[in-house]
Amino acid sequence: MNPEPSNGYTKEAGAMKFKSVEHVRAGLAKADYICSKTIATVVFLAQATQKPVLVEGPAGVGKTELSKAVARSLQRPLIRLQCYEGLDESKALYEWEYAKQLLYTQMVKGKIDDVISGADSLSAAVDRIASQEDAFFSERFIQPRPLLQAIIAPHPVVLLIDEVDKSDPEFEAFLLEVLSDFQISIPELGTRKAVNIPFVFLTSNDSRDMSDALKRRCIHLYIDYPERDLELEIVKLKIPQIKSRLAEQLIDTIRKIREMDLKKKPCISETLDWAQSLITLQVEDLSAEVVRDTLNVICKYRADVEKVKEKLEKLIN
Amino acid sequence: MLNLILKFVSCSRATGLRISTSEVLDCFNQLKLIDFLDEPQFAAVLRANFAKSRREQFFFNRLYDLFFHELRQEPNIAQSEPLSDQVRNILQSLASGQDDDGAFQAVLDFLGGDPLSFFEQMQPASAAGNQTGGGMSSNLGPMIQRLSLMLQINAAGDALADYLSAQRDHLPWEIRRDLKELFDARLASARRLLTKERRPFGGKTRKTVSYQQHLDRLGEIHFASLTVKEVEGMREVIEQLVRRLKDTLGRRYAVKNRGALDVKKTLRRSAGYQGIPVELFFRKRPPRKAKIVTLCDVSGSVWSAARFMLNMLYSLQECFTQVRSFVFVAGLDEVTNIFEDHEINRAIEKILKEADIEYNAATDYGLTFRQFKKNYMDILNKKTTLIIIGDGRSNYSNPEEQILDEMRERSRRVIWLNPETPYFWYSGDSEMRTYQACCHEVRPCQNLNQLLDFIKSLVL
Repeated sequence: MNPEPSNGYTKEAGAMKFKSVEHVRAGLAKADYICSKTIATVVFLAQATQKPVLVEGPAGVGKTELSKAVARSLQRPLIRLQCYEGLDESKALYEWEYAKQLLYTQMVKGKIDDVISGADSLSAAVDRIASQEDAFFSERFIQPRPLLQAIIAPHPVVLLIDEVDKSDPEFEAFLLEVLSDFQISIPELGTRKAVNIPFVFLTSNDSRDMSDALKRRCIHLYIDYPERDLELEIVKLKIPQIKSRLAEQLIDTIRKIREMDLKKKPCISETLDWAQSLITLQVEDLSAEVVRDTLNVICKYRADVEKVKEKLEKLIN
Repeated sequence: MLNLILKFVSCSRATGLRISTSEVLDCFNQLKLIDFLDEPQFAAVLRANFAKSRREQFFFNRLYDLFFHELRQEPNIAQSEPLSDQVRNILQSLASGQDDDGAFQAVLDFLGGDPLSFFEQMQPASAAGNQTGGGMSSNLGPMIQRLSLMLQINAAGDALADYLSAQRDHLPWEIRRDLKELFDARLASARRLLTKERRPFGGKTRKTVSYQQHLDRLGEIHFASLTVKEVEGMREVIEQLVRRLKDTLGRRYAVKNRGALDVKKTLRRSAGYQGIPVELFFRKRPPRKAKIVTLCDVSGSVWSAARFMLNMLYSLQECFTQVRSFVFVAGLDEVTNIFEDHEINRAIEKILKEADIEYNAATDYGLTFRQFKKNYMDILNKKTTLIIIGDGRSNYSNPEEQILDEMRERSRRVIWLNPETPYFWYSGDSEMRTYQACCHEVRPCQNLNQLLDFIKSLVL
């Protein structure tokens, strides 16, 4: 039930900490994530104050990636909880392993006979079994789900609660308890308190507003499309073989496309996909024709593709 | 530092951001941890604590700029000291000259670098502006308020100019120039605040908001008076509405699906666990889904209402077991196939071109009902909801209401949607009074909001 000790996360590594905003920036850059100062500041503060970070922003600007990068650079395991409509506590917290309990009951049947032998009455026998009840409702038979995993983990972890806006309001209310006290009550076992406060990221795509109570407990971070230079840096980092001329053309075009009124604006991951496909096609210079042929990588709606095609000449030059 | 931020917080609250005390405390604690002389970090801390959604972020950024940049004289800190004394003196002498008017004093405070009371003056104006409910009258209130603030700004500007020219002999011209520049800049920014207010989503996310306004506006327009462009926009609106409706439905079914314990199945499965009911089974309660039959008058003005209803019905198809649709003018044709074979919007266009209908004929409801009785009567049963869209204007031919009566007998519900204003329903050749008696429900259906209400009551 503990995160496997074999995966290289030692206690010393788990104790790693960011020392300053600049340190965050450098650490994330080392983990292949280039971020603005705002992001670095928020991450640093979240660690210093042990508060969860609520990350919002358009799809594909690297919200999930941020938490992964933090996990990588702090060398902590990442525990991920993907939210969806209908997610309930048994999927997020813990479940009793009934089958395992039954199996054990079968196997230790002889022992049970020992326990109740000599009891004069039925109620005495029941009492004796009841006194042994703890054996069956112990941590041995509990199956921890992401939230409990994060809380009982012996080493500090990064907990990512992805797309929290997709979950039901009830679940959000339940999260409040977990996130403010970092403890979980299991009726049969009592309250489990976090050994180490996990580094929590919640991501949201704005499909609904989160409640004020949840927002208040979190540090809010809005990640927008990156500045030109930052994006350029990201492309060069992720796709090192790209020529800087092409990269610059690429970024300028993408930024112009983003200014258009599209259903789905191209985000960083699309920029990277595009750059990758241009490299694969061995394109040296971005021309209108090339853009037209590879437009499907950037625009995911037909209407968008048409719209961009119309203005193609303007975009390139 | 403490005071500065507290002031900023009260300004933010005055502009409508909701900032709780705990957030302020958090902010102070966090400021201790960072290098707050580095502005990006400082701004990031404030933003992370005070602006917790995209919407608020916009207001925050504007306020932050105003508070920490425009209203401070940092670039020339050395000079600012004597200048600020002058500013205070001037403002005081101006304030004493006036009878105490809150707005004027607020403007003066703003010029002195304290925007709080100015925001407070501005706030009721914009708060009232937010109630977009009524028509003209409610718009006027905030306008007047704004106007009076504007007048006060101008008055303050004039008073300042007078004062400065009166002091020509006492002040060296450099100081006068600096003062004038400072005041002009602040007056301009006050004016800008007042006029450029309330545009929360410039640029990137404009779409989402304008969608809401769009919806509000489109919702009230009569179907017949929609422009081609608005019809285009309508599709998007409908798509969004349908998606939301489906979400609601999905959640409802998810809960409703769980019925009582299925004892038989639970026991059978428990055999595998030595008679212990480890896995419980519940009876699934299949949601009751209606079968829909629509009869659409496609003559002239009625068609525009009909097309939107068809659009919605077919978008919500999985909420019904079946949707069958017929169009008529004089004579009836089934168009279900067209909808099954094509995407909704294409299908609607196709119907106009391909359905076997004489579009120029005079509408004849009687004939339509006779044809329906002859060919399709058996599709109506107790699970069917029959929806008829039409104005009931049958050009004085036989209304054949006894057939509609018969149809009512056979179906679960008969609903008549009339795109005409109720006021005209019983005039001229309208047979509404006759038909009304045969229907379970008659609704006006002139705009999107009414249509939406209807669709909601139908599926929920």
